[in-house]
Amino acid sequence: MGMNDREFRRKKDLLFLLTKKEITLKYKRTVLGIFWSLLNPILLAIVLFIAFKVFMRIKMENYTFFFLSALFPWNWFSASVTMSTGTLIGNVNLIKKIRFPRHFLVLATILGQFVNFIFALPIIIGFSYFSGKGPGVNWLITIPILIVAQFIVTAGICLAISMVNAYFRDMEYIIGVVISLLFWMTPIVYPLKIIPETYQIYLVLNPLTYLITAWREIFMSNYIDWRSIGICYGSSLVFLLLGILVFQRLGKRLDEVI
Amino acid sequence: MNDALEIEDVWKKFPMRRDRPGFKEFLLNLPKFVNRNYNSNFWALKGVSFKVKQGECLGIIGKNGAGKSTLLSLILGAIYPTKGEIKVSQKITPLLDIGAGFHPDLTGRENILINGVLLGLTKDEVLKRIEEIIAFSEIKEFIDMPVRTYSSGMYLRLAFSVAIHTNPRVLLIDEILAVGDEAFQKKSKDALLNLINGGVTTLFVSHQMSAVKEICNRAIWLDGGEIRGEGEPERVVEEYLRCPG
Repeated sequence: MGMNDREFRRKKDLLFLLTKKEITLKYKRTVLGIFWSLLNPILLAIVLFIAFKVFMRIKMENYTFFFLSALFPWNWFSASVTMSTGTLIGNVNLIKKIRFPRHFLVLATILGQFVNFIFALPIIIGFSYFSGKGPGVNWLITIPILIVAQFIVTAGICLAISMVNAYFRDMEYIIGVVISLLFWMTPIVYPLKIIPETYQIYLVLNPLTYLITAWREIFMSNYIDWRSIGICYGSSLVFLLLGILVFQRLGKRLDEVI
Repeated sequence: MNDALEIEDVWKKFPMRRDRPGFKEFLLNLPKFVNRNYNSNFWALKGVSFKVKQGECLGIIGKNGAGKSTLLSLILGAIYPTKGEIKVSQKITPLLDIGAGFHPDLTGRENILINGVLLGLTKDEVLKRIEEIIAFSEIKEFIDMPVRTYSSGMYLRLAFSVAIHTNPRVLLIDEILAVGDEAFQKKSKDALLNLINGGVTTLFVSHQMSAVKEICNRAIWLDGGEIRGEGEPERVVEEYLRCPG
């Protein structure tokens, strides 16, 4: 029992250190360092605010907030997926010469991007405060629930992609296109309700539809959208299982192809 | 005495991929690609079996390409056998490509931490030994600089120091007795001998026959993925050296 306990602590340390490495390396040799994680979303918010207020003059009320409330979670997802294509093939040395749980590399990639999402939350809180509807107690319940849901679905997809890309390097470029398609298929720039009822059923196939919807509901309306949360947990688990299956199956011969 | 390692009829193949053809060629030869015979295989190991007892030091000798490094990687568990079974009862510490887990942009200290944990310690355990590790590597004044600024000798010294301070139970050594300058070579050799004499099970791949005869109490001669000789280091080394080509 004591041995298992130690092994558990070691695994936890390993995941922590790999994540820390991810973050450290990202800003190594920059002057502002991790401060960029905070600065980036602020600058993005300013740019979008100017774009929507001055140039595009979108009529929808609070459109910048509407957009950002979906964009920040989306960015966590898309950056993780894009980076995961290189996670395994970029760590050939580790994989071939050291024995450790390889899926930690993928999880560390996702956790590294998660930090950016956390740093974007103050901006969401600011917008929410000025809109007068939040932030409220509901946030404390919903945000952790949604973080876990998003982590699960992202992990499933990233595990599969990182492994498939080792065998089939074209994956990296396919993912680039699929990500931009997914961006427009997910209600990020538009609300879910503009999609005709008859098509809405197909949206379940996109695991992000309800995830993003739930994020937006809590951020903009301080409302816990249990229905969306339920649906996204269902699809997240399916994606996670598929991801684990692909990762394990193809993982046995990984060393032969990288 | 218990067996620390049991290798049973292990086979390992690698696909021999030709370089990826262009897209035009791919389309023209589509039927050939669908047919799996396009890629031929190379068998790096062909049915290798042996056991290693607790506390034993086994030397593995053979020509380049005989399958020695593949064998060590398999035992380590970083790669899987195509056929056969490898039973390991204890934690394995590789001294293969030491520094494999190092990242050039991280500092020496950061690399010690992450590699110590990769090699089987918890973070607290590494932190407890970190001064010892730094002292052994003799690069105290550079320890907070990124390792890309290190000379290759400094790099290897640090990597070696981390590896031997991780409480190894089974050591896999791939020709690394030549780390650093003369003085450090002696120091690292002494440290290894200390571990080996202290009862650590060791698998030692080397081309230095004198070292194999000196350190090991048994030797295996691999040739073309098969075991060609096994037994007393003196005798196996002699057979190997006598064999032409």
